[in-house]
Amino acid sequence: MAEYAHAEVLVTTDWVKENIGKPGIKFVEIDVDTTQYDAGHIPGSIAFNWQTQLQDQIRRDIISKAEFEKMLGGAGISNNDIVILYGDNNNWFAAYGFWLFKMYGHKDVRLMNGGRQKWLNEPDKPLTTDPTHTSPTTYTAASPDLSLRAFVRDAMEASGSGSVNLVDVRSPAEFTGEIIAPAGMTETAQRGGHIPGAKSVPWSIAVQENGAFKSADELRKIYFEDKGVDPNKPTIAYCRIGERSSHTWFVLKYLLGQNNVKNYDGSWTEYGNLISAPIEKP
Amino acid sequence: MNHQTRVYESIFEMLPNVDNPSPLVRINRLNPNADFLLYAKLEWKNPFGSLKDRAAWYMMKALEESGELSEKRGFVEPTSGNTGISLAGLAGARGYPMRSVVPNKVPMEKKLLLKIMGSQLDVVNDELCPAPGLGEGSINLAKTHARASSDRYVMPNQYENEHNVQAHEETTGPEIMRQTEGKVTHVFVTLGTCGTVTGLGRYFREHKPDVKIYAIQPTEGHDVPGLRNISQLGVSKLFDPSLIHEIMEVDYELAYTRALDLCRHEGLLAGPSAGLVFEGALRVVGQEAVGHGVMIFADDVFKYTSNMAKHIPSLMEDTSPK
Repeated sequence: MAEYAHAEVLVTTDWVKENIGKPGIKFVEIDVDTTQYDAGHIPGSIAFNWQTQLQDQIRRDIISKAEFEKMLGGAGISNNDIVILYGDNNNWFAAYGFWLFKMYGHKDVRLMNGGRQKWLNEPDKPLTTDPTHTSPTTYTAASPDLSLRAFVRDAMEASGSGSVNLVDVRSPAEFTGEIIAPAGMTETAQRGGHIPGAKSVPWSIAVQENGAFKSADELRKIYFEDKGVDPNKPTIAYCRIGERSSHTWFVLKYLLGQNNVKNYDGSWTEYGNLISAPIEKP
Repeated sequence: MNHQTRVYESIFEMLPNVDNPSPLVRINRLNPNADFLLYAKLEWKNPFGSLKDRAAWYMMKALEESGELSEKRGFVEPTSGNTGISLAGLAGARGYPMRSVVPNKVPMEKKLLLKIMGSQLDVVNDELCPAPGLGEGSINLAKTHARASSDRYVMPNQYENEHNVQAHEETTGPEIMRQTEGKVTHVFVTLGTCGTVTGLGRYFREHKPDVKIYAIQPTEGHDVPGLRNISQLGVSKLFDPSLIHEIMEVDYELAYTRALDLCRHEGLLAGPSAGLVFEGALRVVGQEAVGHGVMIFADDVFKYTSNMAKHIPSLMEDTSPK
C-alpha cells in the first residue's frame, strides 16, 4: 500500500498521548465550536479561537504577519517547536490553522489524525479542564506564502478554463444551491449555487468513520479516478469560508503530494455575494 | 405509601411501577373500529411529566448502588429534554448536581424547564455539514464533560444504558399486562433511545409472545423532539429489531395534527410524539378486525405549544388584540 506523500505531517492519537508534556512539542486545539476546549482538552494544550484570533478583526482577511507572531509568541510557541493541531468536526479549523501556519512559514506543524472526535472515542485518552500555563516567547514569522492561497481573481480565471481543477468541497445541498449554508451557520451569501466549472467533491469523502483520513490508495482513487481531479493540473479548493477547503487542500497537497494546490479562503461567502459573477445552479 | 389515598413521603414513592401504574385511558370518539379497543398509556402522569421518569429512576438507582453519586458529583446527560427533566427532578430531590446537553432544536419550553429544575444547560448546534463518524454534538459534549470533569459528573448515557431497557421490562410491561388483564394484543411505541421498545419487546417475548409491537417513526428530516427516524438510530446501542413486529413510517407533520385531534376530541392533552403513535395505531386499527391495543403516550402537549404553533400556524390566529 502506498504511503501518504508527506506522512510526516500527520500524528496519531497514540503518538500525542505518548508525547504530552514533552519539551519542544506544543498542542493547539482549534474548533468550530469554540466552547469545546473549555469543556475538556488534551492536557497541556492551548486553544486558538478561529473567530477572534485567526482572522483580522476589522477587514475580512487572515491575520497579518505581526498578529501571527504576537499570537504564537503570546502562546509560548517558538519557531523550532513541533506544533500539533487538532480540533472538532474532523479537524476543519485545525486544517485551516495548518494552512495559516504553513502560510507564515512554520517549519514543523502537524495534524492529529482524526481530531478531537477520535480522541474522545478512545477511552484511554485523557481530557482535562485544567488551564495550561505558558511562558511568552518571541516568534518570527516569514512573509505569507501566497502560493498556498487563491484569491477571487484566481477562482474566476480557473472557472471554465479547463487548465485548473476547481474543487467545491461543500455538501451536495450547498453545491446545488438548495441551501446557501449549513443550518445554524451565520456566515452566508446572497446567492446559492457554485462557481461554473467546479467539481463537487465534498470534503468528508476523505475521512473514515473514525474521523481519520482514508488511505493514500483510497484517496488517490477517489480524487483522481472517481471525481475526475486531474493530477497534472493545479487545483483550487473552496467551500463557504475556507475551513473545509483547507481540509481538502491538506489532503491534496500533503497526503497525495500535489505541488500546486491553493485554498480559496474567500470561498462562497465572497463569490456568492459578487455582483454579476457567473453562477451555476444547480 | 398508600396508592389508594395517594399520600407519599417523598416524590420517589410516586414513581411508576406495577402497583402504581400510569393510567390507561380508552380512545372513544377517534377510534373508528368498535372491535379494536385502543388505550393510551398516559406517561405524562408520572411525577416529572414523561415516560423518561422510568429510565431516569432506574439509571439513578444503579449509579447510587455503585456509589457514583454525591452532593459534589451528579449527572451530565445528552437529552432532547425529557430525560434531562426527569434526571433533574430526581437529582434535585436527592441533592445531586445536574447538567443537561441539548440540541438547539429542542423547544424553548424544555430548555427553560431544565433551568427551572436547576439543571445547568449546554445547547449545541447539531446541524453542521454532514460528516462521517461525528456522532451527535450533544452526546459528544456530554461525554467530554464526563471525561474531563469526572470528579463532578457521571454520564448515565441513556443511549447505551441497559437500565433504560430494564426499567420498561420491569415496570411498563408488567403494568400493561395487569391493566389489560392479559388481553393486550398490540403495543404501539416510538423510537428514541429504544429503551422502551426493547424493554417491552423483551417483556412480552417472555410473557405473551404473540403481542405485536409496532414502532412508529417520523419521516426523515422530522421535527418531533425526542424521536428518531431509523436513519438516526446509529447512536443507540439498545435497538433490537428482532423484537419489533413492524416499523411504520409516518409523515411527521401528522404528529402535530393528530396531537391536536387528541386534545380536541378525546380530552387527552397529548404531545406530538403521542400524536405520531396514534396515527400509526389508527392505520393498524383500520386493517385488523379485532384487537386490544395499548399506545405509549410519552408526554403531554405543554412543552410543545411553540412547536404546535410552528407546525399548525392557524393556532396563532386570535392570540393578539385585533
